[in-house]
Amino acid sequence: MSTQDKVKINKLPTGVPGLDEIVGGGLPEFSFNIIAGAPGSGKTTLAHQFVFANASPERPALYFTVLGESAIKMLRYQQQYTFFDPAKLPGSIRFINLSQVVLEQDLGAVLAEITKEVEKANPAVVVVDSFRTMVRKPESQMDLQSFIQRLALFLASWQATTFLIGEYAEEELRDNPIFTVADGLFWLRQTTERNSIVRKLQIIKLRGQDSVPGLHTFRITDAGVQAFSRTFGLTARKRKPPSGRRLSFGIPELDKMLDGGVREGDSVLVAGSSGTGKSVLATQFIAEGTRQGEPGIVAVFEERPEAYTERATSLGLDLETPQKDGKLTILYLRPLDLSVDETMQSILDAVQKIGAKRLVIDSLAGFEMALSPGFRADFRESLYRMIFALTGIGVTILSTVEVDESFTEFPFSTYSISFLCDDILRLRYVSIDGQLRKIMVVIKMRGGNHAKDIREYEITSKGVVILGKRLTEYQSLISGIPMYSGRSSSPVESSKDTGIEPSS
Amino acid sequence: MHGENMTAAPGMRDLAQRLLDYEAGAGKSSEPVGSPTLLVYEKLRQSLGEFVGAAGFQSLATRALTLATPEAPGLSVARVAADGCLHGLGGTETQFEIDKDQVGDGGAILIARLLGLLRLFLGEALTLSLLRNAWPDEAIDDRNFENGRKA
Repeated sequence: MSTQDKVKINKLPTGVPGLDEIVGGGLPEFSFNIIAGAPGSGKTTLAHQFVFANASPERPALYFTVLGESAIKMLRYQQQYTFFDPAKLPGSIRFINLSQVVLEQDLGAVLAEITKEVEKANPAVVVVDSFRTMVRKPESQMDLQSFIQRLALFLASWQATTFLIGEYAEEELRDNPIFTVADGLFWLRQTTERNSIVRKLQIIKLRGQDSVPGLHTFRITDAGVQAFSRTFGLTARKRKPPSGRRLSFGIPELDKMLDGGVREGDSVLVAGSSGTGKSVLATQFIAEGTRQGEPGIVAVFEERPEAYTERATSLGLDLETPQKDGKLTILYLRPLDLSVDETMQSILDAVQKIGAKRLVIDSLAGFEMALSPGFRADFRESLYRMIFALTGIGVTILSTVEVDESFTEFPFSTYSISFLCDDILRLRYVSIDGQLRKIMVVIKMRGGNHAKDIREYEITSKGVVILGKRLTEYQSLISGIPMYSGRSSSPVESSKDTGIEPSS
Repeated sequence: MHGENMTAAPGMRDLAQRLLDYEAGAGKSSEPVGSPTLLVYEKLRQSLGEFVGAAGFQSLATRALTLATPEAPGLSVARVAADGCLHGLGGTETQFEIDKDQVGDGGAILIARLLGLLRLFLGEALTLSLLRNAWPDEAIDDRNFENGRKA
């Protein structure tokens, strides 16, 4: 069948930020959906958002309330959300209470009542909240099945997009015939992990289009439900082919070690123990970017933006002007109850807002600590997804990570995230001549011919300054306790000042 | 009394009176159709009953009657039935006579209390929206909500 022959399924906006991306661009028109989950998981709010986003005077929404939360209280609370527009009631959105019919009659009467109202109003959207409360007696289960089957058939014929809302526990998901009728099944979960609440949304099924699989975190704020796609809304974006352009650190010697600078679109990890100058390097990287007209984002977790800016000023780097010009944003992300995906969404939003080319995450340890404990287990996976998504659109990311200094090991990161990084720059202390000095080395540079040299550097009032030539007089430098060999640079070695072997 | 006003808010009284006047005026232009209070009450019952249900409206109306009775003792003989209808005043349901001639301002007070409860629970915007839907020909604005915030 050619594309021309296929029926076109219109996609309706869900009204829930982030959810359109998750459901594959919008909710299929005329679909029959179930929103399931435990009480308090946000089912009604989600349905309201859909209703307010789609109802119009010409094609109104009918919102049938059954038993459970009283309609007056529901409206009292729901109108606190910013999406709630009272002017839409009752012209575009009609709330119809069916509790009396449910209490006094049977499901057939409920169906008849819904049918009557639908035929009268010709609605675009129908919600039944909560259909589960209509049957509490075990023998009614079959009636419910039949009720839903007939309701689904009727509402589809009347060109209505429908949501049934029901309280279901996790274990009820399996082999439930009611769910087979639905075109879409939205499951909302809410669990307590340590001291925080973790909310997750799963599209268990959605006929007719691809949804993003997996569990997506969501939050309920005064704007209603906000979902955070696991793919951060970037799945549709085409990956940019590598430009081959090199980005400077503003430190000529370091750029040389990197064969001309960091490749655009790379993810760089700067690892080192406390005080080795990771943040200084990161600041120099972002400042050089803004100096060259490349907008940047700095996500800080351990100090406030003002302090970060002041520290840059003390190094002779101007971060104030690019911030005023809208070329630089310093994000301070420290609330302790964030999900990893929404933190990353904040970064992504900032990146997209100013068209950032460089992003600094300072530091990964601070990032992890800013998350709610329940989300820390997802940190590595989410970080991977964000780095993949951002580098794919050409953003160059520099992350700093603190590693415990050891004199027997040379770790690159405590997160086992080296595989996420194209380039790793390792900073460390060494004990030389009764001094604690600092060395740096490029550990890896994916697809690049980086220097093998171990270089000594200092942090001065001008930032990181790489000193002299490579350290040839010492052996076992990376152990942190090198041995003096007394061997100085030979003329041959001097010719390798850049530390980069000429390509054959 | 949980801090509620001992009398219906003046703004609600004015709004209730406007609705009563409107219904009284509508009655003059054609055959008499009953007391203005009953007409206003019935329109509210129909409009609200749709989304709060009969039981929901009955609860609100009972509360309104309880709040209104101390102000208008003539209302003490009234009662709200399970379906939300108002009974007990006048001879029969159709001979509704709780207007000025029989119980002073009882009708206006009862309606004012009902409107006050709506505003308290649903807020001004939604209450106005519902009233405009029930009285599409009457220009109902938010001036009446400026005085006080209690039922």
